[in-house]
Amino acid sequence: MSLESIAFWGLAVVLLAGALAVVLTRNLFHSVLYLALVLTATAGLFLSLDAEFLAAIQLLLYAGGVVTIAVFAIVVTERLVGDRITQTSRQIFTGFVISGALLVALLVVFRRAPLTISRPAVTGDLTRAIGQSLLTTYVLPFELLGVLFLAALLGALYFARPDD
Amino acid sequence: MTLQAYLTIAALLFCIGLFGVITRRNTIGILLGIELMLNAVNINLVAFARYLADVSGMVFTVFTICITVAEVALGLALVILIFRIRRTAVADHLDLLRG
Amino acid sequence: MAASGIFALWAWLAPALAFLLLSLIVPLRRSGRPAAWLSIVLAGGALVSAVAAWYATVPGMARRMLWEWIPVEDGVLTSVGILADTDATRMLILVALVSFLVQVYSLGYLADEPPPSLGRYYTYQSLFAFSMMGLVLAPNFVQLFICWELVGLCSYLLIGYWYPRPEAARAAVKAFWVTKAGDVAFLVGIVMLWSRTGTFDFSELFEMAKGGSDILAGLGLVTFCIYLGAAGKSAQFPFHVWLPDAMEGPTPVSALIHAATMVTAGVYLLFRTSFLFEQTPEVLAAVGWIGAFTALLAATLACVQTDIKRVLAYSTVSQLGYMMAAIGAGFSSVGFLHLLTHGVFKALLFLAAGAVIHAVGTNDIFAMGGLARRMPQTFVVFLIGTLSLAGIPFFAGFVSKEEILGATWVGGLTVPFAMLVLAALLTAFYMFRVVFITFLGRPALAGAPGDHGAAAGHGDGHAHDAPAIMSLPLWILAALAMVIGVGFAVWHPEAEFEAPHWLTPLAVGAALAGVVLAWLVYGLRVISADWVFARFSVIGEAALERFWLDDLFALIYRRGILGFSRIVGWVDRYIVDGVVNVLSAWTLIAGDRLRRIQSGQAQDYVYGIALGVLLLMVWMRWPR
Repeated sequence: MSLESIAFWGLAVVLLAGALAVVLTRNLFHSVLYLALVLTATAGLFLSLDAEFLAAIQLLLYAGGVVTIAVFAIVVTERLVGDRITQTSRQIFTGFVISGALLVALLVVFRRAPLTISRPAVTGDLTRAIGQSLLTTYVLPFELLGVLFLAALLGALYFARPDD
Repeated sequence: MTLQAYLTIAALLFCIGLFGVITRRNTIGILLGIELMLNAVNINLVAFARYLADVSGMVFTVFTICITVAEVALGLALVILIFRIRRTAVADHLDLLRG
Repeated sequence: MAASGIFALWAWLAPALAFLLLSLIVPLRRSGRPAAWLSIVLAGGALVSAVAAWYATVPGMARRMLWEWIPVEDGVLTSVGILADTDATRMLILVALVSFLVQVYSLGYLADEPPPSLGRYYTYQSLFAFSMMGLVLAPNFVQLFICWELVGLCSYLLIGYWYPRPEAARAAVKAFWVTKAGDVAFLVGIVMLWSRTGTFDFSELFEMAKGGSDILAGLGLVTFCIYLGAAGKSAQFPFHVWLPDAMEGPTPVSALIHAATMVTAGVYLLFRTSFLFEQTPEVLAAVGWIGAFTALLAATLACVQTDIKRVLAYSTVSQLGYMMAAIGAGFSSVGFLHLLTHGVFKALLFLAAGAVIHAVGTNDIFAMGGLARRMPQTFVVFLIGTLSLAGIPFFAGFVSKEEILGATWVGGLTVPFAMLVLAALLTAFYMFRVVFITFLGRPALAGAPGDHGAAAGHGDGHAHDAPAIMSLPLWILAALAMVIGVGFAVWHPEAEFEAPHWLTPLAVGAALAGVVLAWLVYGLRVISADWVFARFSVIGEAALERFWLDDLFALIYRRGILGFSRIVGWVDRYIVDGVVNVLSAWTLIAGDRLRRIQSGQAQDYVYGIALGVLLLMVWMRWPR
């Protein structure tokens, strides 16, 4: 067992256990914390795939930004409602069946597909490649992302305005 | 690690996220489930990008992360607004579209 | 020879012109008397043309003029036109003559009608004349059938001329229904014949029959169906029930349609197509038997009638039976001869009866009496007609009736022969019964219960002979009857067969016996009518009920047809509509149930999406 595989399987376990905890915990706040754990484990997986830039972005935006926003939202709504929000789940059995079926279907697809087994060697700097790609091949979606952020900003401002 | 391993992990994560979306009663809980699903997609994209030596997968991941962030922000803002009006966080109570 | 065709054509088209003008130019029709004169003038022209056509026709040769009508691939399906031979032109003269005389007579009989109604009457009369002549001159089955239906329509229109009267309306519908049943069979027969032979044309069929073609073998069903059509129109048993009720129409209509022309169309049809019937002797035998039975049955029924027109109606049925019997015996020309003579004297009798009704105001013979003194001319012509009908020598009906008796004997129909002899006796009896009660004896008291018809006519106390416009046709017909009677007696026509030598005495004897019996019962009052009735009580009672035939038909109609309609209606309402209603109810229920998918819960929709994706994946990868 190489270090890589240990790392990989360890991260995988943490990831999946955290994910299960996210969906099954009653306490919403705990769910958000477990989500943070999942996102961090994902960043680790990115690292194992030699995608350092993405790991960094994942930690910054996801584990940092999204979790923070979620925590704020819970705090605000908890304030509104007045007591700790507890989770109860509905339709567990059907959800389980559907998800399980989808999982099985996906695994079947993977098993049958002809996929490469070994990784090719890393050629060059992936971060540089991403940057170049962003600004040449995918420059249009890149610019549109800017527009999207502008729209989101405006939307957030609109939501945040005081009631007149 | 084989590509299939990564894909399997991503699939598992995706289905757990789907399970969460379907079963959670609280709206924020649903959003968390969506997060998990999007994360699984990201893992998938990066794994393919790495094993097929194509950097576009990673570029797509950048895009999805950005869009997800915007979506979560606004989604949670909506949830807060709804709470202000309807005084409830439970998704079951938000059934105005009922036929 | 060509001239005969042209004349026949003119005779046919003159009333058509009258009908077109009267039906299209509404003010002309509503003006009453001018419309009548137009129709009469054109009818007169038709008569002249018909006589000319007969005169120009060479015996044994026929003039045929055809116009193609319905084109089909390689040829024409059927044509319209005329087929004018000696017999057709004779019949044409009868139709034109009686039609003309009746139209003149009607001007007097219906003088009190409002002008629009009068115009309507003459429109129908012209249409009838046109249709009847088209039937007579028809060269093929199709034109004959079309004109057949047209005369049936005219009969309906004219019986129901006084349609505000419910009895008249009902009688018109009854006539239409009963003849329609026969017409359906007729049509079936025509089509079957066509499918077998490929043609409708009389001349072509005649050639086939003469040539002994195999095509015409085994035609029993076809000829029987054609006979059924004739049976309906010519009031053979059991289709005779419409004719007595048809007396609700004006008397001139009865004279024209229900004595001389339309009802004889059936006889004419069998006569025209006798070459077909000769191929199927068993059908001819049936024709003969039914004809004789009808003659006897109707004669019996005539003995108990109190309405003068009903007596004459049953008498017509009876005489039609005679004609059919002659055809059934295989001597169709004999039947045709009787058709011609009967047309003359029956029309005469009806018109005379009309004069009586017009004068007295009622149809009931027991409300009349002693009219001979007050209406001498009418009495004379009626007597001439009666003697003709009874078959007394030197009068019109004698030779033709005797020939029919001879034909049935020689043709081997023995029992029908006996029935016809008995019917001859009864004919003389019931006709003279009418004569004695109506014209001789003591008049019924004015103010008697049967006298409330006085409002319609002049009342018994003021009975007088008819005006000239009515009596002139009467005298013309009477003179014609005498000419025929005496003429036949002197120049005896060639008989097709050798009658037994005892036939003439038997025929005359039966007639005289009937006259004497009537004289004893109703003239001298030596034998009481009630005693005679009591002797034949079973038959008499049944006759009064018209042998329950009308009730039988009504029962069939009510139970059978209406019951069937009710069943069909039930099926329509509960099964046909029911299927539709069930489907619509199911649609509503399904919609209601499916509505629950829209729960408003966003998570349920996610669940649906996931399910959809799953199914798509399975479908795409299945089976690899």
